[in-house]
Amino acid sequence: MEGSMSSNVKINGAAHKFGDNINTDVHCSNKYTPGKDVDDVAEVAFSRLDGEFHGRFKMGDVLVAGANFGINSSREFAVHVLKKLGVSAIVAKSYGRQFFRNAINNGLPVIECDTDGIDTADAIEIDLATGKVSVAGKSIERQTPPLPREVQAILSSGGLIPFLKEHPDWSLK
Amino acid sequence: MGHTIAEKILGAHATGSPAKAGEVVVARVDSTMIHDARADGAFAAVERLGLKDLPFAKNTALVLDHYSPPPTVDAANTHIEMRAFADKYGARLFDVGSGICHQLMPENGYVTCGAMVCGTDTHSVTYGAFNAFGTGVEGTDLSVIMATGKNWFRVPETVKVVLTGKLQPGVWAKDVTLFMLGRFGAEGLNYKAIEYKGSAVAAMDIDDRMTLSNHAAELGAKAAILDADDKTIAWLKAHGAAEPKPVTADADAEYAESIEIDASALTPQVARRHLIDDVIPVPDAVAQKISVALIGTCTNGRLDDIRQAASIVRGRKIAKGVRFVVTPASRAIYLAAEKEGLIRDIVEAGGSFDSAGCGTCVGITNKLIAGDRDVVITSANRNFQGRLGNDESAIFVSSSATVAASALTGHVTDPREMEGGQWRAA
Repeated sequence: MEGSMSSNVKINGAAHKFGDNINTDVHCSNKYTPGKDVDDVAEVAFSRLDGEFHGRFKMGDVLVAGANFGINSSREFAVHVLKKLGVSAIVAKSYGRQFFRNAINNGLPVIECDTDGIDTADAIEIDLATGKVSVAGKSIERQTPPLPREVQAILSSGGLIPFLKEHPDWSLK
Repeated sequence: MGHTIAEKILGAHATGSPAKAGEVVVARVDSTMIHDARADGAFAAVERLGLKDLPFAKNTALVLDHYSPPPTVDAANTHIEMRAFADKYGARLFDVGSGICHQLMPENGYVTCGAMVCGTDTHSVTYGAFNAFGTGVEGTDLSVIMATGKNWFRVPETVKVVLTGKLQPGVWAKDVTLFMLGRFGAEGLNYKAIEYKGSAVAAMDIDDRMTLSNHAAELGAKAAILDADDKTIAWLKAHGAAEPKPVTADADAEYAESIEIDASALTPQVARRHLIDDVIPVPDAVAQKISVALIGTCTNGRLDDIRQAASIVRGRKIAKGVRFVVTPASRAIYLAAEKEGLIRDIVEAGGSFDSAGCGTCVGITNKLIAGDRDVVITSANRNFQGRLGNDESAIFVSSSATVAASALTGHVTDPREMEGGQWRAA
């Protein structure tokens, strides 16, 4: 388990930068457009914030944001949309509480650190095991406390449900 | 170093000894709730889990409250699935008209002191009023709790809020939470647990305490836990709860922050259009005209709210052009209001009653869509733009007493200046 985790803990991708207080219920869910499915919403997600987002975003890219990403939005649907888009990780100054849980439960790494200086198109690297976030081209290196072991194990399994299929008794040994 | 209530409850459900803020624990969960606006997500997660049995679903309440009665075919079909799910897995179903999940959970014995209670709704923090750790989670969380009886939790840091003195007549817990929102900002206590303490909390009745814990959701709180006292124990016993074992914080517990608010000095408060943290005292807002007045929701749809309103409107008429709708939070509250003659008082004054449920809280229920230029004053919890289905309307949030006073005059009105506005249970 520990071994398999360390083999897949570095994430590389282009950054897409958003500001503070991004409400994922508004920008990335069907809360206000009932009946729309994940594919429908994925096609328009974040376009009100950034009209260029869809032309630029590639599978495996990283969302970067200011404070309170996912604030006020408790819907798990938003994370399903992010997974559908192919977002490999999010780096933000802080997160809405429920969004943070939903991301981990669905196997989407969420890193909390200072994101000032990181901009759209920067090549960003995240090392989940050590908690280091870096942008080599700008000599940016941010050290964060690594995610707790339990959370890393859930992420490494791909989310809470696959984790429980591997560890039905919640054991982390 | 001692421990907070959150550290003790989470620890007791994980290892048996207190946890520490910042730790991640795998903790037992005593009871859970799924409501109809989130049932689809929870059921999809159950399907992904692929288990034949959900041994802990017997501790789960399935509540049909947002779509009560269902306004769309999709909602009606979700209800059919929920009824079938309850039968299949042994969960308890609360059907259309029973009331709002956060009222039904304590009313039906799902909450007690020291319990861990999770629901698919941010206002699950309501259960903290009973000295429980109540918190909102999503469908995946609920599915694994029904399967294993456990979930993972990061133990939150706690902010201690001491309310000294005593609220004046006409001032309610809602005015405290609005004041807190004005001070800390929406989501200003994101991820924190709050412990509310002090003489003003002790003086509150259970209905008001539930408002205090409930509306902490808008502060971003993960839990909002009150100490238990004789009133708590008596209420829980009267509603069939498991033996209450109160949990208290240690004198040397470590808090992220401790603040004190003089409750005696607090005036009625109102959050202005679109922003729950744009809060001013009601006396400074009286020039604001209103056209819709709403009482209800999991924040303020309880018997004391209806009593406050009836006390103010009894024997009078609401202002011309104002629509006044009251929605009881549960059937039990509806019946109690009927027994006390409160429904007659409000309906004769020009108000109307809706069946118990989430009612006029949010546009998705289709119970009330505001018109262009409508200005709504509501005792609900949120007022962001478009919450009642129309970006062109505005929503102001206050206590139920302030809503009722405003319904009579047609503008934002301080209930302390109205006859009957000083009402409080003896």
